[in-house]
Amino acid sequence: MPVTILSGVTSKFGELWDVSPRNLVKEVALAAADEAGFALDKIEAVFVGNMLSSSLGGQDHLGAFFSEELGLSVPAVKIEAACASGGMAAHLAYLAIKSGQYKNVLVVGVEKMTDHKPEAVAAALMGAGSEGEREAGATFPALYALIARAHMLKYGTTEAAMAEVSVKNHFHASLNSHAQFTNRITRQMVMESPVVASPLKILDCSPITDGAAALILSSKPLKKGIIISASQAATDSLGLAQRLDLTTLKAAVSASNKAYQEAGVKPEDIKVAEVHDCFSIAEIIAMEDLGFFPKGEAASAIEKGKTQLGNNRLVVNTSGGLKAAGHPVGATGVKQLVEVYQQLKGISGKKQVPGADLGLTHNIGGSGATAVIHILKK
Amino acid sequence: MISPVKIWRNQKKIREILNQNGNIVSFTQVFVPPQGFESQAPYVVAIVKLESGRRYTAQLVDYDKKNLRVGQKVVTVLRRTRSAGDEGIIPYGIKFKPLI
Repeated sequence: MPVTILSGVTSKFGELWDVSPRNLVKEVALAAADEAGFALDKIEAVFVGNMLSSSLGGQDHLGAFFSEELGLSVPAVKIEAACASGGMAAHLAYLAIKSGQYKNVLVVGVEKMTDHKPEAVAAALMGAGSEGEREAGATFPALYALIARAHMLKYGTTEAAMAEVSVKNHFHASLNSHAQFTNRITRQMVMESPVVASPLKILDCSPITDGAAALILSSKPLKKGIIISASQAATDSLGLAQRLDLTTLKAAVSASNKAYQEAGVKPEDIKVAEVHDCFSIAEIIAMEDLGFFPKGEAASAIEKGKTQLGNNRLVVNTSGGLKAAGHPVGATGVKQLVEVYQQLKGISGKKQVPGADLGLTHNIGGSGATAVIHILKK
Repeated sequence: MISPVKIWRNQKKIREILNQNGNIVSFTQVFVPPQGFESQAPYVVAIVKLESGRRYTAQLVDYDKKNLRVGQKVVTVLRRTRSAGDEGIIPYGIKFKPLI
């Protein structure tokens, strides 16, 4: 039984001081139900992707929190897998439909981050790392900086090539009205921006963002519907130190191999992908882990514009990615699915990839300790 | 966030890693610190492969610029890790020091 996506909605991403998590979730859930053509009371279960409601917001029990807000009394639960919470919520919702228990489920990803000061957000995000990393005063930029230096040393990846990831993603976001940053940037601007954790500069890093996204998944087959043809996840060591090779995320390789197998497709069949570019180096590694480019060759391919809008083979992060569309951590994985869903439906406007019929999402938790891969088919 | 019980429990493990040599596998200089580390920034965080084969992430201290390279030999030392919390207990842990 295929799992169909009936609707997908993303809120505005950004510094949204005048809205609460309740507002955000209600907005996207109602819009998703509306797009699916039914009222919310047809929803039989709610899966909420969220990471920081407890550590930053002091609110646990998010399932009931949001079902109350939506006027529902169905099973509802928070799924937490760090920055892969959204993708993991979709994965479990997919399995819930596959089980035959539910016909229509709502997947909501939500995060409210800008209510808190940056040091507090940085410390809370480190909940996704290991105890040793927290004791060292590492931050997420620091962990990906450690990865970046290893990749630079092994493959000769340059800071300029990494900068091109941000340049491309800001260009894509300039075509996305929901993005946090719609300004275009240059390689020079990235190279001259302040260092956060060397060699990563602030324009190599995704921002702190508020936002939500929702999907309605269903067992109901649709003519010309968009289906999830693979949903896979894998895990790896929480800390970076436990990994022998820092230049690859083993969980992403493993989950994507399983996903290609489940969907019966190859990396070269994918036309559009949303990947987890929490930092510029992360998109380069994602391209290699997903089999889009051989190891060590993704940086120069991105530099040559091979994954930018306008080419016919593969376009990556049409939303602007985490870098420019924004990264409300629990919402990101759901937003990625919404973006690919809209691409396959052909309703992406100026950022539409012509002929997009097969898409992939790559959602990473922590520094690669969780990976969730979805493949969507028209 | 700092529990005295947790500090007491974890300190028993620290001695196993003290005074071990190793080499830097990767490093970064952190300019934007998380809560509890504001007074130390900028500081260097490194992953080191110890002679025991174990890899460990910690800060590098007492270094010169020339020590900031992959392959640099270091030794593990005991240092204060972060600012004391409300309980006033100073947390100690592992850091690395360059061996010339």
